Amino acid sequence: MSDAIKNHGPGMLAHWTPENIVGETSIGDILFSNDYRKIALKGIFTAFIMLALGGFFALAFRSELTVPGVQFLGAKVYMTLMTLHGMVMVFGFLIPLVVSILYFMLPKVMGTEKLYWSGLAQLSYWTLIVAAVLLVIGRPDFTWTAYAPMSFRTGNPYLWMGHVAIILVAISEFLAGAVLFRNGISGNFKWGELPLMGWAATTVGLLFMISVLPLGFAGYGLLSDGLHWAQTAFFDPSRGGSIERFLYIFWSYGHPAVYLPFVPAIAVIYTIMPRLLGHKMWSYWSGVVAFILLALGAMPIGPHHFQPVHTISGGYERFVQILTMLVFIPSVLHVFNWISTLFMAPIPASARRAIPFKFMVMSIAFIIYGGATAFLNAQIAPDSDFIHNTYWIPAHFHAMFVGFTAQMAIAGFYYLYPYFTGRMFNQAMGNWHFWLWQIGLFLKITGMGVAGYIYFPRWVYDYLDMPGWMEAQIVITIGGYMVGAGFLIFIFNVAWSARWGKTAAADPWPLEMDDPAAQTAQPAE
Amino acid sequence: MENALGIWGPQAIMMAITASFTVLGLIMLFAAILMKRRWKPSYAFEFGFIAVMLGLVWYADKLSVGTYSAYQQNLEEGTKRVSGNYDGVGEQAFDRVFTVIAFQWGFGFINEEEEVSRNAVIVEPGQKVLFKIVSNDVIHGFNIPVAQITAEIDPDAQREVWITAPDEPGKYLIQCVNYCGVGHAQMKAWLVVEGNETTASLETEGEQT
Repeated sequence: MSDAIKNHGPGMLAHWTPENIVGETSIGDILFSNDYRKIALKGIFTAFIMLALGGFFALAFRSELTVPGVQFLGAKVYMTLMTLHGMVMVFGFLIPLVVSILYFMLPKVMGTEKLYWSGLAQLSYWTLIVAAVLLVIGRPDFTWTAYAPMSFRTGNPYLWMGHVAIILVAISEFLAGAVLFRNGISGNFKWGELPLMGWAATTVGLLFMISVLPLGFAGYGLLSDGLHWAQTAFFDPSRGGSIERFLYIFWSYGHPAVYLPFVPAIAVIYTIMPRLLGHKMWSYWSGVVAFILLALGAMPIGPHHFQPVHTISGGYERFVQILTMLVFIPSVLHVFNWISTLFMAPIPASARRAIPFKFMVMSIAFIIYGGATAFLNAQIAPDSDFIHNTYWIPAHFHAMFVGFTAQMAIAGFYYLYPYFTGRMFNQAMGNWHFWLWQIGLFLKITGMGVAGYIYFPRWVYDYLDMPGWMEAQIVITIGGYMVGAGFLIFIFNVAWSARWGKTAAADPWPLEMDDPAAQTAQPAE
Repeated sequence: MENALGIWGPQAIMMAITASFTVLGLIMLFAAILMKRRWKPSYAFEFGFIAVMLGLVWYADKLSVGTYSAYQQNLEEGTKRVSGNYDGVGEQAFDRVFTVIAFQWGFGFINEEEEVSRNAVIVEPGQKVLFKIVSNDVIHGFNIPVAQITAEIDPDAQREVWITAPDEPGKYLIQCVNYCGVGHAQMKAWLVVEGNETTASLETEGEQT
């Protein structure tokens, strides 16, 4: 490790000796090894299988939606694919991917070299696998939000499997949160020197453990109501239940669910940005404060997801509206910190060439894109006008989930790649992946935003030939296929380079300045 | 026509602010990547930024609540509150009053004479129309794009929505925007605005079905 890396304090320490862990792993290791890097790699590659699955579902229904009329997917199949797409992507791909990347990075960043409570991480992984199997067998078609009472009246005999899967997801995420929290507080650091990834793991670990409790309860209530376990129901209004109870309980998980992958992705930025740029972040405390505020704000603002549900200009609704907009502040603190860090000193040529750096910059661009629209979503008036449950909403959360979180996780994956294969990935294929994703995601997200503005409703397998609707769908489908093509290149690159890529240097990410003038301008911190 | 929430009023300002915020952020990001000059922003700059944000939150809350209250005010004419008050006292302010039953999957409209029509409601241009919406099965949505209003209806609650009918005769879409089961995509109705002279030509007006 070069001195430049060693002396840069917290967050700069994500450096291992490149070795071919993947090539030397036996089947037994893959299944049950508690070594932190093997658990992490298992999670990462499972997440990519989930991404392939969810992406395949997405391309299937994107093809169906390109033009009005029923092509090859009926309502039932379409909705099953849509539900599985949402659940697989959020619970199977995004959250496990970022959590696994944290499992990989935390022990090194915290200096512990081991993952505490790795048995729980193992249990969390296998619980999630059971949930995924149940989902695929049960084929629920009630969307990932599983709104009561619709979600136990869909006439599907294996419906209960979907509800059990929700409970299992809650258990799995609770365990993952416990592991993150335990490792976030594990390092031997003085107050105020805990790496930002440690702050992220601590705050998001707590958020995981608290916010999945309502999810587990929602899953249990749906199961109990659906199978008529009791005379009275929790959520079914025809048997004395309350829908509002469901909405408040579900969304007090549903909004944090967005932050659960979001915060670890932010932590990855705080770890690899200083490493690639060769200097510290612009501000440490700004990041700490932002992590804490984000965790505090996550749960109380859930009700903004169902703003137009009743007379909505009351005091409580207004409080939620203001609080939702205030969550803008921690997000701005993060983004401001990143942009200032990029501005502070000349950007090394090595960083400009690095694929993880490119993905990182564009993920920041997408968080700006998606985050600014969130400011509008929070407000009751535009929400009751054109935002609520039109395609505007998928535009917003695809910008946040794919544009930011997934791209940042992919950046982390590219960064870690030489450390666990001992080889570098192919740069040209990495660039193809990068550009296909940026253009594809921009087309997809912008197309969805436009479709939402002209009131294209969510969750429809077929639509009327209204002005502009088909055009928007065509743009989204083209974008979707570009993202799919980028994914194929990415997977090919990962597989091919693991065997035939160039052998990685001792430091795969050395700092290099092409311009000697800039080299001297760089303060030798 | 007068839109329910008036998207070209305060909402347009908010959308312009959002758009300029996006552009400003992207300019800052790409300047940080592409500009030759390097610069370490001071912490005061960040605090200034936060202060602007707080101002925006205050302004957005004011505009949004103002807009929505003005809309809600129209429901409260006559009595203090129309919502939840089904004795009809507050309904004098509206030209037409419909009870809407949202069900899996469609909309039933019951007019003042207790006449029921399914998936179509006939009004005249410029009329002020009140929809009292209930659902008897699952959560549904009620969205009229041309009037720019959305409501979400719980089975155990009642919602009221008013619009001003478009001046142009024709057929306008009413749709469910909350997933309510496999028939959700078909849960549509038509707001039929009938001109004084043309009933027969309705087939050619507006959108195809």
